[in-house]
Amino acid sequence: MGANENEFPVPVVHTHKRGRLSVVWIVPILAIVAAGALAIRTYLRIGPTIYITFDNADGIEAGKSEVRFKNVPVGKVTAVDISSDNKRIVASVELTHGGAGLAVSDSQFWVERPRIGVGGVSGLGTLLSGAFIQLDVGTSTRREDNFVGLEKPPGVTHDQQGKRFRLTASDAGSLAAQSPVYLLRTKVGTITSLELAQDGKSVDIDIFVYAPYDRLVSVNAVFWNASGLDVTLDASGLRVNTQSLATVVAGGVAFGIRDPNVIGKPAAEATKFALFEDRSHAFKSPDEGGFPLAMRFHQPIRGLGNGIGVNIEFEGLHIGDVVAVRPGYDIPTQSFFFDVDARVFPQRLGAAYVSLVEEGASSGKTGPQMLQAMVARGLRAQLRSGNILTGSFFIALDWFPAERGKSALPPAQDGVWVVPTVRGGTEQIQDTVASILAKVDKIPFDAIGGDVHDASRAAATLLGHIDQDVVPQAQALFGRAQGAMEALREGITSLRDNYAASDSPLQQSARTTLEQLERAAFAMRGLADYIHTHPESLLRGRSPGHQPKASP
Amino acid sequence: MTRAIDIGLVACESCELVMRAGDPITGTCPRCGERIQRRKPRSIMRPLAYLIAAAALYVPANTLPIMVAEQFPLRRSDTILSGIAFLWHEGSWLLAALVFSASILVPMLKLAALGTLLVTSALRSAWRPRGRTKLYRVLEVVGHWSMLDVFVVALLAAVVQLGRFASIEPGPAVVPFAGVVVLTMLASASFDPRAIWDRVGPRSEYGRK
Repeated sequence: MGANENEFPVPVVHTHKRGRLSVVWIVPILAIVAAGALAIRTYLRIGPTIYITFDNADGIEAGKSEVRFKNVPVGKVTAVDISSDNKRIVASVELTHGGAGLAVSDSQFWVERPRIGVGGVSGLGTLLSGAFIQLDVGTSTRREDNFVGLEKPPGVTHDQQGKRFRLTASDAGSLAAQSPVYLLRTKVGTITSLELAQDGKSVDIDIFVYAPYDRLVSVNAVFWNASGLDVTLDASGLRVNTQSLATVVAGGVAFGIRDPNVIGKPAAEATKFALFEDRSHAFKSPDEGGFPLAMRFHQPIRGLGNGIGVNIEFEGLHIGDVVAVRPGYDIPTQSFFFDVDARVFPQRLGAAYVSLVEEGASSGKTGPQMLQAMVARGLRAQLRSGNILTGSFFIALDWFPAERGKSALPPAQDGVWVVPTVRGGTEQIQDTVASILAKVDKIPFDAIGGDVHDASRAAATLLGHIDQDVVPQAQALFGRAQGAMEALREGITSLRDNYAASDSPLQQSARTTLEQLERAAFAMRGLADYIHTHPESLLRGRSPGHQPKASP
Repeated sequence: MTRAIDIGLVACESCELVMRAGDPITGTCPRCGERIQRRKPRSIMRPLAYLIAAAALYVPANTLPIMVAEQFPLRRSDTILSGIAFLWHEGSWLLAALVFSASILVPMLKLAALGTLLVTSALRSAWRPRGRTKLYRVLEVVGHWSMLDVFVVALLAAVVQLGRFASIEPGPAVVPFAGVVVLTMLASASFDPRAIWDRVGPRSEYGRK
C-alpha cells in the first residue's frame, strides 16, 4: 500500500471553514412555516359544520351542492345521510369561515330549485347549476348547528323590511302561501303561511306587508279575500271585479279602510285581523252585538236550502242572516214545523236604530218588549222568493196590517227574540192557485161534454124538421108577404100624395095653425116683457103712458 | 473488501484522476479543478433537511385543491385525490392509475425510500447495502416523472381559458406540490450512495449474506 503512495497527486488543499450547522436547514424551516401557514389559512377558512334536515335530497349532492346566502356561496354540502328515524335526510354542511355567523337559531334553509308559479318563475339558474341550498339569516344571536330545512322558500326573508300580521278566515278559499296582498290593487305584501287553526274551525293566515306600505295597515283596516272574480249583476249592469289577473288563479288578499275619515294609527306588528269573504262584507258596518232571532214556520221551507246565510230583510234592508234551520214536530197538532234561528244586527238600521234605542230608553222598554210592540202593530216574518230564476228565498220582516193586534207572540226563549210568522207570499199564491185548480178540477167536464153532445143532436133533429116542414110553408109565407108589401107601398104613395104635397089640404091647415100659434107666442112675449119692466101693473093695471112695446 | 479511502486514495468525480488522500481530504483536483471530497458534504444532514421540508409540504400538497375547473356555472375544485377519484368514476381508469402513480405513489415512495436510506445510513446499518443502492437508483430514475401533475395543471391552465364559460386555474396546492417534487429531487441528489457502504465493513460480501 505505502509503496506506490507517491504515484498519486495530492489534491490542492484550501482551507475551508464550515459551521457546524448547515444553511440547508433553512429549507425545511421555510417549508414547515409555509405548510403551517397554508394549514392555518385553510383552517381559518373552514367554518363550523351544520346539519340541515330535509324531506328528501332531491338535487342535493354531497361535495357539490353549495349553500348560498344572497347567492354568495357560504358553504358546501359535505355529506347527505338518512336521519336516524329513517324519515328525513340530513345534509351536513361545512360553512366557510365567513358564513359561520349565518347559522343562528332562526336562520332558514331551503333548497332552491326551478319553480314556476303564478307569481313568476324563480330559480332558473339552478337548471344549469343544479340545486343549491339557500340561506336566510335570522335575527337571533344564538348559534345553532341543527336546522330543519323548509320545503318551500319562505315568502319573506328576514332582511325584508315590513310588518307581519295575522288574519283569521272562515275558510282559505283559493289562498295559498305567497299569494299577494293588495292595497288599491297594488301589491304591497304577501301571504307567508296559511294553516288551519288548532281547533280546526278557522284558518290562520300570516301575511307580510312590505315597508313602507306596512304603516298603511291601520288598526281600522279591513281585510278581505280578493281571490277569483267578483261578479256583480245589479241595476247598474254587470260588473266584474278582480284585483289582478293573478288573483283569479292564485288568490290574494286585499285590505282597505272602511271609513277614510277614520284611518287610525298604524297597526302594531302581529296585529290580528278578520278576513272577510269579499269586499262588500268587509265594508259592511261592523256587526258588533247582534241579537238572536227565532221564527217558526209552519210551511215547507223549500228555497232556504240549509238556511245558513239566508238574508233577513227588514223593510228591504238586510239586517241579519239565518244561522240554523231545525225541523220539528208538534205532537198536539201532529204537524211539522221549522224553527229558523237567525242573528240580526239592528245596528244596521243606522240612525233609525239610534232613535229606537232612545225611544226604548225613554219608555223604559227593553228590546224584546219593543219588538213585542212591533209584533202587536203587525210585524211578521215571512218567507219570500228573492229570485224567481234561482228560486232562492229570503225572510222578510214586514208589516202585515191584517195581523195587527194579534199579538200571537210565542213563548219567548231565553234571550231570544221571537217573531211570529205568516205564510209566505209565494206560498200563498201557490195555495190560491192550488185551490183554483182544485175547483177547476171539480168541474164535470165529461158530463158537460155529454150534454153538449145531446144538445147538438137535438138541434140536428130540429133542423131536419125545419127543412122538411117549415121551409115550404115559409116559401108560401114569403109570397104572401111580398103581396102585402106591394099593398103597403101603394098605401104609402097615396099618403104622400095626400099629405106631403104643398097644396094638400092637410098641409094648408097645418100652416095656418102654425101661423096662429106664432102670433099668440108674440103676444105672450110682449106681455112678459111689460110685466118684467112694470111688475106693479099686475096689481094696479096698466099705466096710461106706457104702451107695451111690441117687437115687430 | 477494500474501499479507495482505506488505501489512502481518492478519485476526482469529474475527471476520474486518482489522488492520494490527504488528511483532511479536502481540496481541488489538480487536473480539472473539480472539488475533491471523499464523500458529498453532510451527505446525511443535507438530504435529511430537504426530506423534512418535502414532507412538510406534502401535507398541503395533498389536502388543498390543486386545480379549480370552472365550467359555467359549475365550479369544482379538486385535490389530487378527489381528481383521481373523479377520473376513476368517469371511467378513465388508465388515466386515473397514471395520475395516481405519478402524483401520489411516486412522491410517497420517494419520501419513504429517502427516509429509509437516510436513517439506515445515519445508523451505519449494514442491512442489505446492495438492495438499498438499487433503491437509490430507482429513486433517481422515477423522480423525473413526479412533476407530471404540475405540468398537467400548468398546461391545462394555459390552454383552457374560455372566458367565463370554462377555465382552469391552478389551485393553492400546486406550489407545495412542486416544492415536494423539487425538494425530493434535491434530497436524492445531495445523498451520497457511497454512504450506504461506508459502514458496511470489510467483511461484508457486497451486501450478500
